[in-house]
Amino acid sequence: MARGSKADRRAGDPTVALLLTWLVPGAGHLYLGRLGVALAAFVVIEGMYALGVWFSDGLFLSYLPPEMRGRFAGVLTPEAGNLGALLLHVKSYPYLEQPVRWAATMDLGTTLTSASGVLNLILASRAHLDARLPERSTTPLQDPPVAALASWLVPGAGHVLQGRRARGVAVFVMLVGLFALASLLGEGVNLDRERHFYYWAGQFLLGLPAIVTEFVHGHPRLTHDVAYADAAVVLGCVAGMLNVLVMLDTFGFAEARATGREGLDAPSSDGSSGVGEEVA
Amino acid sequence: MKDWPFHLLLFFIAGTIIVVIGAMFAEQDDRAMLKSLRKRWVHFFLGCLAVVVVMLICEHTLASVN
Repeated sequence: MARGSKADRRAGDPTVALLLTWLVPGAGHLYLGRLGVALAAFVVIEGMYALGVWFSDGLFLSYLPPEMRGRFAGVLTPEAGNLGALLLHVKSYPYLEQPVRWAATMDLGTTLTSASGVLNLILASRAHLDARLPERSTTPLQDPPVAALASWLVPGAGHVLQGRRARGVAVFVMLVGLFALASLLGEGVNLDRERHFYYWAGQFLLGLPAIVTEFVHGHPRLTHDVAYADAAVVLGCVAGMLNVLVMLDTFGFAEARATGREGLDAPSSDGSSGVGEEVA
Repeated sequence: MKDWPFHLLLFFIAGTIIVVIGAMFAEQDDRAMLKSLRKRWVHFFLGCLAVVVVMLICEHTLASVN
C-alpha cells in the first residue's frame, strides 16, 4: 500500500525523464511539467556546449590520431553526457584530414563542452529524482544532485556538505594527492587532451583540481622523454574515475536521507545498520 | 620493465586508494568501513596477483610471439 501511494506521488516515469534529459538538457523537466527548470537547464548547459564549440572551432574530436577515429569515438568522452549536442556536433564537424594550428582558446572550448556533458548527467540524475520524489523536503545544500555536483567540483566537498567531514578530507587528500603525484611524475604530460585523449577524459572527472592545474601547468613543451609518463596518465585517470564513486556515494547518502531510507540501505558487514543508527 | 620496484610502489599506492574509496562507497558507517578495510585490501591485492599470474602464463604460452 505504501508502495502504491508513493507511485501515486510520482510526477512521471523516472526513466523517461532521465533519457529525455540525456538527449536534450531540460527535456526531462519539461516532461515533468517544470518549465522554469527546463528552460534554465537548457540555456545553461546547451549554452555552455555552444560556447565551447565556438571557442574550439568544434574540433576536439580531431585531436584523435587517424587510427583512433570512428563513428563512436566520442562515446568515451565527457561530452557524451550531453548526447544530443554531441551527435549534432559529430554530424556538423567532420574530422580534419590535415593537421591544423588549434585555436588559442581550444583548451577553454574543450573544457566547456566536457563540463556541459558532466553537468547534464547530474541534471539527468535530478530529473530522475524529481520524477520519483517531486515533493521531497531537503534543503538545497542537502539535495542529492547538489551533493554530486559538489563532489565533482571539489572531491570530498559533497561529504563535507553532508556533515561527513572526515570522509570528505580523506577523499580530498587521497584523490587530489594521487592526481598531484601523477602530474609531478609525468611533468604535466597528463594535463593535455591532445596528447592523451581518453585518459584526459577520465581525469576530467576529478573536477576543478584537474581543470585548474591544466590551465596553470598543462600542455608542457617537452624536449626529452618523460620516464613515468605511462604511470602518470594512468594514475591521473584512476583518480578521476574514483571520483565517480565518490559522487555516487554522496548522491546515495543524500537520497537515502530524502526518502527516509537511511539506515535501511547498505547494511554494514558487522550487521549493524550504519548511519541511520547515528541519526536516530 | 624499467624501474619495476617504483612502478610496484605506485601500484600499491593506487591500489590502496581504490580499496579505501571502494570501502567508503560500500559502507555508510565509518566504523564498519574501517573494520572492513584489511579484508578488502587483502582480497584486492590477491585478486590482482591472480590476474598477473594468468597474464604471465598467457604471455609465455598462448599469446607468446616470436
